[in-house]
Amino acid sequence: MTRHRVGMVQDLERSHPLIVSVNGAEIGIYRVRGELVAWRNICPHQGVQVCKGRIAGTRLPSDVYEYAYGRDGEILQCPLHGWEFDLTTGQHLSPGSTARLRRFPVEVDGDAIYIHTRTYSGG
Amino acid sequence: MSTDADIARPQDTSVRIIDADVHNTVGDLTPYLPKVWHERWQRAGLGVGAIHYGNPRGVARRDADPPDGGTPASDPAFLVEDHVRRHAIDYVIFTGAHVIPMGPDPDYGNALAAAHNNCLAEEWLPLSEQFRGSILVNSEDPPAAAAEIRRMGTHPDMVQALMCGPSRAPYGQRQYHPIYEAAVEVGIPVAIHPGTEGSGLAWQPTPVGYPTRYMEWHNILPITFMSQINSLVCEGVFERFPTLTFIGIEGGIGWLVHLMWRMDKNFKALRDTTPWLKRLPSEYIRDHVRLTTQPMEEPERPHQLQQMMEMVHADRTVMFSSDYPHWDGDDPKMALRHMDRDLKHRILAGTAGEVYGLTTKPSTEYAAHPVTRPRSGADQPLSAVE
Repeated sequence: MTRHRVGMVQDLERSHPLIVSVNGAEIGIYRVRGELVAWRNICPHQGVQVCKGRIAGTRLPSDVYEYAYGRDGEILQCPLHGWEFDLTTGQHLSPGSTARLRRFPVEVDGDAIYIHTRTYSGG
Repeated sequence: MSTDADIARPQDTSVRIIDADVHNTVGDLTPYLPKVWHERWQRAGLGVGAIHYGNPRGVARRDADPPDGGTPASDPAFLVEDHVRRHAIDYVIFTGAHVIPMGPDPDYGNALAAAHNNCLAEEWLPLSEQFRGSILVNSEDPPAAAAEIRRMGTHPDMVQALMCGPSRAPYGQRQYHPIYEAAVEVGIPVAIHPGTEGSGLAWQPTPVGYPTRYMEWHNILPITFMSQINSLVCEGVFERFPTLTFIGIEGGIGWLVHLMWRMDKNFKALRDTTPWLKRLPSEYIRDHVRLTTQPMEEPERPHQLQQMMEMVHADRTVMFSSDYPHWDGDDPKMALRHMDRDLKHRILAGTAGEVYGLTTKPSTEYAAHPVTRPRSGADQPLSAVE
């Protein structure tokens, strides 16, 4: 793995998500339940910049005609179509869908934020 | 040395053909109606006013008149000879000459439904083991429709509840749930059938208004089916009633794949607006919705029919119907001739056998029995427009 320093935690206070670029790939860094997560800024559905989407909650699975709002701040809505992604797992919330966001390991060391990428081994 | 008798194949006991839409015309309902409704029935029939759409050539095929000159499919003995035996059909599901339309008077609609059901049970169903009936219900009075389903649902030969295709509000909405609750309770599916689109209190047959002529009206009947199935799934009817089967009779098939794909696509984006759906909409359709074949689509390239059937999972979702004795009926051998053998069996008998509980071959004996013949005129003013 290669470690890339991409910003400071203070940057995340000013901009949430924090959009960074690593090896040409755009990545959105989010703070969810106090933890940092990093997702590639591409929607697996039609390829738009998913991190431009709204951070929201959702209606939780419920019985017919019952409504239960929850997971506030943990759901990303893609700006095109509105696919909902779980910011803690990257999973598309729709039953029957296996789509998910691509995750990057993220780490805070001191006040600095690091993204880990696979090291290209050549060949 | 073996003889012919030794090598004779055992008698085939499997059900080969179930016809899910046969329009028998029951007799005059007067004896089955309370006296208070007699005059209205005899003067106004179903009482929904003018029919906007009628086949200019008549709805009945021209080769199905009973020998005594009565209405086609009004003579059960001739129906057996002309249709059931001719095509070696095991079971026919009677759908009556007409469904209960959306009329202004719910009490009258309820009385008509009960009268029809009693007449069917008394005059037709006892005649043959091959006969099965539909419980007509007045769907615009859901508590009454539910009561009628419970009243008739215990009859062993009544195999489904049947209501008209159009409705005041989409059928998935909660005001109609008592109908599904009753059907599930007695263990029968709920079916819809076209014919009353645009008649009586029904909405215009399309969201863009009234088609000009019968052919246009008939072409676009599937819009009702799409609307109802869309509603049933999205309102969570199949979550609330997980054992319910909903049958779309005579509404076409090809559009189902479009509806399933479109619903799935939208659900992936708007799931949170129907948080009670635990599976893709198409999965509810595959498990709970059944369509009948007639009028079978006839594509430019016949092999595309097989492709279309695969797309809609027709081995589970499609059941054969002839629509006898109507003008646009299908022959069981001709209509399915471009399909592979296994699929053909599923469509001709497999799925219907499961849906209606008809998995053993019936006796083909016919018990001659005097029946009340329908009069021409007031007793069938809306009969069989589809």
